[in-house]
Amino acid sequence: MSADGRSFEEPVGLKRHLGFSIFLILVGGYAVYSASFWSFKTGFFPLVIAIPLILLALAHLLLEVFGDSEKSTGPAVDVEFSKEIAPDVARWRAFVLFAWIAGFILIVFLLGFPIAVPLFMFLYLKIQSGTGWLQSVGLAGGAWVFLYVLFQRLVYLPFEPGALQVWLGF
Amino acid sequence: MFEALIEGLFLVLQWKAFSLMLVGMSLGFVVGLLPGIGGAATLALMIPFVFKMTPAEAFAFLLGMHSVAATTGDITSILFGVPGEGLSAATVVDGYPMAKRGEAGRALGAALMSSLIGALIGAVTLAISIPIVRPLVLTFGSPELFMLSVIGIACITSLTGLSARSQIRGYAMGLLGLLLSTIGQERQSGSLRFDMGLMYLWEGLDLVPVLVGIFAIPELVDLAVRRTSIAGDRAPENLSAGVIEGIKDTFRHFWLVFRCSAVGVFVGIMPGAGGGVAQWMAYAHAVQSAKDAKDRERFGKGDVRGVLGPGAANNSKEGGDLIPTIAFGVPGSGAMAILLGAFMIMGLVPGPDMLTKHLGVTYSMVWTLAIANIITVILSLAVLNHLAKLTYIRGELMIPFVLLLVFVGSYTANNQILDLIVTFCFGLLGYLMVLWGWPRPPLVLGFVLGKLVETYLFISVSRYGFSWLSHPIVILLIVVMLVVIVYPFVREKPAWLRASGSSA
Repeated sequence: MSADGRSFEEPVGLKRHLGFSIFLILVGGYAVYSASFWSFKTGFFPLVIAIPLILLALAHLLLEVFGDSEKSTGPAVDVEFSKEIAPDVARWRAFVLFAWIAGFILIVFLLGFPIAVPLFMFLYLKIQSGTGWLQSVGLAGGAWVFLYVLFQRLVYLPFEPGALQVWLGF
Repeated sequence: MFEALIEGLFLVLQWKAFSLMLVGMSLGFVVGLLPGIGGAATLALMIPFVFKMTPAEAFAFLLGMHSVAATTGDITSILFGVPGEGLSAATVVDGYPMAKRGEAGRALGAALMSSLIGALIGAVTLAISIPIVRPLVLTFGSPELFMLSVIGIACITSLTGLSARSQIRGYAMGLLGLLLSTIGQERQSGSLRFDMGLMYLWEGLDLVPVLVGIFAIPELVDLAVRRTSIAGDRAPENLSAGVIEGIKDTFRHFWLVFRCSAVGVFVGIMPGAGGGVAQWMAYAHAVQSAKDAKDRERFGKGDVRGVLGPGAANNSKEGGDLIPTIAFGVPGSGAMAILLGAFMIMGLVPGPDMLTKHLGVTYSMVWTLAIANIITVILSLAVLNHLAKLTYIRGELMIPFVLLLVFVGSYTANNQILDLIVTFCFGLLGYLMVLWGWPRPPLVLGFVLGKLVETYLFISVSRYGFSWLSHPIVILLIVVMLVVIVYPFVREKPAWLRASGSSA
């Protein structure tokens, strides 16, 4: 329930199930196409998997289009997302987090983990979480110490330098 | 034999061996909590330190560390929805929803107690079965192991809903998982498949980035969407009461815990299968144990039985793993292959000598498994109050820290930036799957089993043609597979039977 007591039960629309079924057909099709160029030994197992995958996805697609509408998605043994938030707000917030994650990967690529971790921590805490300066700097510093002590000192996990450092010759 | 059992106990309780076991346990505790850094990798890192130890000290140190990692991995899975170990992914499915519901204490209590019982059952099985397990392991060749893997895949029936479309979705996801497992070099001919011109994919997709991405990122997205703490806006639970409730749950469902422990031991004994398979088969078995479709719907939404099953199997498989390792030098898993290296360093040869000349050392391993797990559970229960409080910290503060753990953990797979991209892609896939109701567990099960299925199928066909299909154990396993597939439908009364029952 939301703060005003509403629960946003968003039905799993036909279009979305169709989208995922088509995605699976494309993946299976790509596998069959690729396997057709390989030797029997190499291509046999992917073919054995991809063909039923295409057939199942096709069956699902046909059931979605021509079958009775499914009242619910059925009890899939998996977690469900919270329903207290309006779907468009939820989608936007999800997009924002994925953008942050993509940004994190980008700065790890450019600057390497040792710089990217405190930088990302600080930026996320300050901009996204709205945390105060002191707390943001403290927590970012703590994350760096954690990373350094555990992964570099204890586990000896080598972190590659960032692409920017390599280009600049550091 | 009894003297050897006592000798084994004294070997572990010697101050040096015991101290080393405690050091190993501390390492295992931390390693288990951190996503990505697996127990096997840490075993490999610690092997150089055992050169100057006696066999009993070395195994106390290494096994103490390894057995604890499986237990504490469940803690991260429950509190943050991030699999602490590759072996604790199944615990996320019901453990994390419990934490979100404000029942972290109960889930942790159940996970720890079932882990302890599983570990004890594994240790006892190891103790009594070494002399008698030889015929069983030798009877299982590639065809039988292939069929066992197929039974694992058949568990998909239990990991999805019972409606036609749910089943289609489940099996399609299982097939997608199998297909993903074929990425990389084909083992028999060395040809490359689906490598997209990337050397990174030659070795195939690593389990850690896939698992961590598909399970952890959707949970983090949900946390970001809700903008609350993991446990939501609920008042903090009475943790002690919750933990005690979780412990009681373990005994309430003791028969289930026992059966799932047996699944873990059995999968552990079979070479190559590993804990990733054991936990999902145990989870599927827990779902199968649901009384009816309504009861079954509780799984994935925070049912304590979904925590108990994988928790027990994860730890019981350690004992099972050790059986073929000690008795024949055939490692049951990657970690056991590394442990085999320790045998060589110690000058021990797995096989008959371990059951005669070095029986005391063999039983010291049994005691290490038991004692290390008892101590870990007691210590974990003591600090649970503090751990579970983490679920009440504001989500916006937790997210960057958990993301850090997720991505550094994934990076440990190959130390390449592409590990992070794979994690991101599977995170996105996992998010869309949860959003649109396509189940993730079958995909993971297919992915975990894929390489095994292909390898065993190839060896079976190369060696026996198609005559392996007439092996008696294979036929028996085909029957078991059919039972696994059909049982959930038979158990759920058909609609016409329900209608006639209600009208009468």
